[in-house]
Amino acid sequence: MAIIILDGGANHSRELLGGKAWSIQRMLGLGIAVPPAFVLSTDECGRYFAAGGKLPDGVTAALPAAMNHLETVTGRKFARGPRPLLVSVRSGAPVSMPGMMDTVLNLGLTPEVEHAMGRETTSAVFAADTRRRFEQQYRDVVGHAPDPDPWRQLEGAICAVFDSWHSRRATVYRAERGIDDGIGTAVTVQAMVFGNLDERSGTGVVFTRNPSTGAAQPFGEWLPQAQGEDVVSGSHDALPLAAMAERMPAAHAQLIRHAQQLETAERDMQDIEFTIESGQLWLLQSRAAKRSAVAAVHLAVTLQREGLITSQEAVARVSADQLKRALQPHIEATARATARVLARGKPASPGIRSGLVVCSNAEAEDRADAGEAVVLARPTTDPEDVPAMMGAAAVITELGGATSHAAVVSRELGIPCIVGCGVGTVTTLGKRQVTVDAESGEIFDGALPIVTAPAHQEDVAQLAEWAAQELARGTTLTH
Amino acid sequence: MKILGDLATLQLLRLKGRAAVDVLACALGANLPVIAQDLIRLCAAGYCHEGAARYRLTPAGREHLNALLDSERAALDGPTLTGLYEAFTPVNHDYKRLIHAWQARDGAPNTHTDKAYDDEVVRQIRDLHQRFEPLLGRMIDAAPRLAGYTERFNAALGKIAGGDMAWLTRPMIDSHHTIWFELHEDLIGLAGHTRQAEAEAGRAD
Repeated sequence: MAIIILDGGANHSRELLGGKAWSIQRMLGLGIAVPPAFVLSTDECGRYFAAGGKLPDGVTAALPAAMNHLETVTGRKFARGPRPLLVSVRSGAPVSMPGMMDTVLNLGLTPEVEHAMGRETTSAVFAADTRRRFEQQYRDVVGHAPDPDPWRQLEGAICAVFDSWHSRRATVYRAERGIDDGIGTAVTVQAMVFGNLDERSGTGVVFTRNPSTGAAQPFGEWLPQAQGEDVVSGSHDALPLAAMAERMPAAHAQLIRHAQQLETAERDMQDIEFTIESGQLWLLQSRAAKRSAVAAVHLAVTLQREGLITSQEAVARVSADQLKRALQPHIEATARATARVLARGKPASPGIRSGLVVCSNAEAEDRADAGEAVVLARPTTDPEDVPAMMGAAAVITELGGATSHAAVVSRELGIPCIVGCGVGTVTTLGKRQVTVDAESGEIFDGALPIVTAPAHQEDVAQLAEWAAQELARGTTLTH
Repeated sequence: MKILGDLATLQLLRLKGRAAVDVLACALGANLPVIAQDLIRLCAAGYCHEGAARYRLTPAGREHLNALLDSERAALDGPTLTGLYEAFTPVNHDYKRLIHAWQARDGAPNTHTDKAYDDEVVRQIRDLHQRFEPLLGRMIDAAPRLAGYTERFNAALGKIAGGDMAWLTRPMIDSHHTIWFELHEDLIGLAGHTRQAEAEAGRAD
């Protein structure tokens, strides 16, 4: 079995399939439409290297039959005909190694396919641009221009993705984390879908809950007639999901249903990427969603109450740092919504404080000594600013990043700090009252009301109760 | 000797912004009564003043210090100092990355609960310091006033080796990072640059 067609079955391990194909299997297993794919397992990776970097004959021979599966599901033909099929070739190790190995997208995009694609999408510009990006990526990853024969392109890309297992950055990454060099990567070949095909197409992202608050309401954005990169790059204004519900009610309802299925199956809030191609919804990826500290606390308690996780799991789901941040003060929401942002920079040391902006370190020290709340604003801090920083409520700078002196010292002192706001920004704010939100990196006009009570006080109390119960149980067992 | 002494004391006062006599004595490698005597003299000359047991430069002291720094630089080999500053820049870049790794991990504050991680970061900082020592030696050859840095660094490293990690990054004490940062400031001045210009060029922030 040189190639495994992904069919939603559960008879192969994550070790064999790699993370990417494994998650496709899980989604297919729930009856969710995922662009069809096949995988060359991690075993093939071992055989590839054992043969000195050559695809075993069995693999080459099995490729057309596997590709036929993709053609049947999509109703397209690989790199030919009026509706050509393009594929992505992706790495997938059994353990997550984000960004460490290579990927080739839009494979099969020959000059003839570009013409067919231009006609199908009625955008010759898009087709030409996609081909240019494909050829560039192929050269970067494989090391030479793509062969005119799409099957040779495919073999070249598969070999390059296997080879990227031993790339310098991947090897260093594994060494640093103690990941075994011998486990290898799988290679997943998946049909490409296009969200910009026609007016019944689009692409977007949905969170199964609100990632800022944890509220049990799907939250997301989508772009009609667009490709995934358009959402990520922010080059177009994304629309709220409600707009999708109006325009494509069936696809929207199906998306929400799948989102709930995935959340239940994974027992955690999911962040899902989707594309609609000519009315057909495809889910591309689902993973545990990144969340704010406040959302993490609320979610842990809510998921327990919904019966998805146990109270022990709920306690374990919230890290000490998240809990600490959830308990920290925040700017009162309505005041914040109407406040004017005077400057923005990189958050370098967390916290929220109001105070008078002072640009000279001596004046800052004197005012702080007199008991005033002072926000020290400097182009960049130098050693002699340290005494002034010690007395400051917050520090803001125009130059520098997370490793800058202002950042290092502020973290040590535990005072909020925003760095790199830009030349001529914060040092023009002298004598103004401001509120520094070093969580978001914003400096607001005026002293805004700061709420010191945690956002989800009763959730925190609930978690504390569960943690205490767990402790009590542990004590009973040991004594 | 007196001139070099005043230069060293006044420059240290400038670098520290405001400092107590024991901190100054420690950093200058001199004993307490000697420094106390010096400070009384410098205060009487109007170069610094005392408040809440800490000393701070006066505008006159700053002016006097700038004149002393100018004559120091005029007597030194400019191209050598510029070259040394250039050699310092990549080392400084690596150093800052390690200090960041000590304070933060995956975008969140380092909780210092993973001993293996902390040990590794400290080991890398020690390695970097060891690699840096020959360069520091050449800096001292070029600008003898910097000689005190060797002893100051060794004192901080000794305390870190004894397990007191405050001596790695804590401000207002002669921690390794405090010393490093003061040395950086000295090098910027000796090379005839300003911190703001260096920050804009991405070599110092």
